[in-house]
Amino acid sequence: MMSEQGRILSALLKGCFVCQVSDEEGWRFLKNRENADKLEPHLNVLNRTLASTGEGEVFFAAYLTIGDEERKVLAQQFQETASALVPLVEWLLLVQQASESDLPVTLGNALRLNELQSVIEDTPAYAEQLEKISRYRLFNSSSMNLDGQLKQVFKRLTDLGYLIKPNNEKQIYLVTGKVEHLYEMIKFIDETESLSLSEQAEAAVQQGSLI
Amino acid sequence: MSQVLIQAGTKLLNALGRHSDLIMHAYINGAINESDYSRKVLDQLVQLGVLWRPDPQSPLRLKNAVRTLLEGSLQDDRNRTINTNITASLASLRTLAEHYKEALHYNRFNEAHAHIGDLTEHVYQLTESLSNSVRVLFSRINNEFGYVSSVEAKIRENELAQGQVSDLLQQLESFHFDELSELAGSNRELRHLLVVALQQSFASAAQELSVVQARLLDLLGRFREFQGRTRLLKGFILHMEQQPDFTPSNYGNLSQVPVLFNQAENMLGVASADVNQVEHESEYQQIVASLTDIYRRKADDEVSPRTQEIEVTAQGSVILEKDPIHEAVDAFFCDVIDSGQPKSALEYYTQQDLTFDQEVWIYQVIGGYQALDDNDKAFFALDPSGQVDRIFSGNFYINDVTLGLR
Repeated sequence: MMSEQGRILSALLKGCFVCQVSDEEGWRFLKNRENADKLEPHLNVLNRTLASTGEGEVFFAAYLTIGDEERKVLAQQFQETASALVPLVEWLLLVQQASESDLPVTLGNALRLNELQSVIEDTPAYAEQLEKISRYRLFNSSSMNLDGQLKQVFKRLTDLGYLIKPNNEKQIYLVTGKVEHLYEMIKFIDETESLSLSEQAEAAVQQGSLI
Repeated sequence: MSQVLIQAGTKLLNALGRHSDLIMHAYINGAINESDYSRKVLDQLVQLGVLWRPDPQSPLRLKNAVRTLLEGSLQDDRNRTINTNITASLASLRTLAEHYKEALHYNRFNEAHAHIGDLTEHVYQLTESLSNSVRVLFSRINNEFGYVSSVEAKIRENELAQGQVSDLLQQLESFHFDELSELAGSNRELRHLLVVALQQSFASAAQELSVVQARLLDLLGRFREFQGRTRLLKGFILHMEQQPDFTPSNYGNLSQVPVLFNQAENMLGVASADVNQVEHESEYQQIVASLTDIYRRKADDEVSPRTQEIEVTAQGSVILEKDPIHEAVDAFFCDVIDSGQPKSALEYYTQQDLTFDQEVWIYQVIGGYQALDDNDKAFFALDPSGQVDRIFSGNFYINDVTLGLR
């Protein structure tokens, strides 16, 4: 039997994002400053440190010092992230538009596959969008029907850690803290590259070119 | 007078009951399609003040009083108006209290009774409207303005609700309990109505309103965040459409890598089984037992093993025989039982000409005695004979033992 501390340490070392949805006990553990300080020396031995994102709601392990080896890993990781951004953002928007409330997908949201599917089926524009999304290399679906595409997209997202499926028999997915991390990354890119994305979106809405 | 009133009221309520279909239709749709119902019925309802026509071109609509009644009883979300006119109600309360006191002063008890009835009605109306207003605000917060879909509309609704809360709070300030208690003077009934009842509802309303206000601000913050996120996503897609070849510069190469992009890779592998670990033996066995896929070495077809001769012989049997010394001890015990006389072990030894070592024999007799179970042991007594060591007083040398029956 591993202690709670060991379990969380290994989750962090595996590159998991610990949040309230994916691992509530671990999240509570890390929320406690004292516990987090206890883990820190263990992580430091392996050149890692505890980092948080999404306003302190999501924890993950970051490198403590970055040498050539780490830089190589990070650069490659960044390439992957950058190429995954467009499919992920399009998916987020699709889910947001297809859900009744028109609220953005956030940590802890429950996505019901069946409901989503029926809305997408009834709206040709969404179906087209889903087909486009599922063809991205990130999701890599070759399915011709909507059902298969949607399932593949959700399966890949679960593999990537953006969603979890608490009950194997039910098609209900919960959004994890990794989505918050995604938002933060886009925000960061927006600020560093001074893209002023919000202003662009607002201008587009005012001009009437609705997306 | 009252008889006439009662009759008229019953007539109105009957009409409401009889035409409930029509009224609910009007409530849901806002207006009535006049061609669906008979002229006579509509005229009757207009006369009773249930329906009215705002202007000659418009269709018939429900009177506000009926609508409010339905909204209140059905706890309908659409009831979004809040009566904030507390100042006027307070003024009428003051007037009624003065009437009452004057009537009492001139001993006109009938009038005074009517005035206090009116006053009670007004006070309870005011408290009800206060609690109703708060309830309406709460129900709107509870479903997070679920009756409008877009975030922008929610933000507008939130702002409206905040305006109403601050209006209500402002109106609550017009409660001056010192004035009210002065007005009530020493009259017990007035005091109960104007001070106790009003104060209770005032306190609970003020407390709930502060909660409502906090929740509203909280919600507004969340809605603004949602709005910001949606804009961010849409803006990103727009940007990518305009500049498809856009890639952010690689932040991993910066001298100070931002925490967001500094994500350590997976470094844990699975551990391997250590077959030398004795503690884990049973687990390993279980694992092996539950293996479903057993690797069998493929039989070598080309070189089939030569057949061997098998010799079938009877297997050697194992004979369980008792040690002779055990038998001798058993015989000694039997001898003692047969003779009924105590006998020393060495005596028996010489009698039977036994060949074992004497010391071994004595040990065996003691052992045989000790090996008996408690019941059997109770029949025998074993008495050692010997002498104490000359120097060390605790030591006792046994030369012989005597076995007897108890």
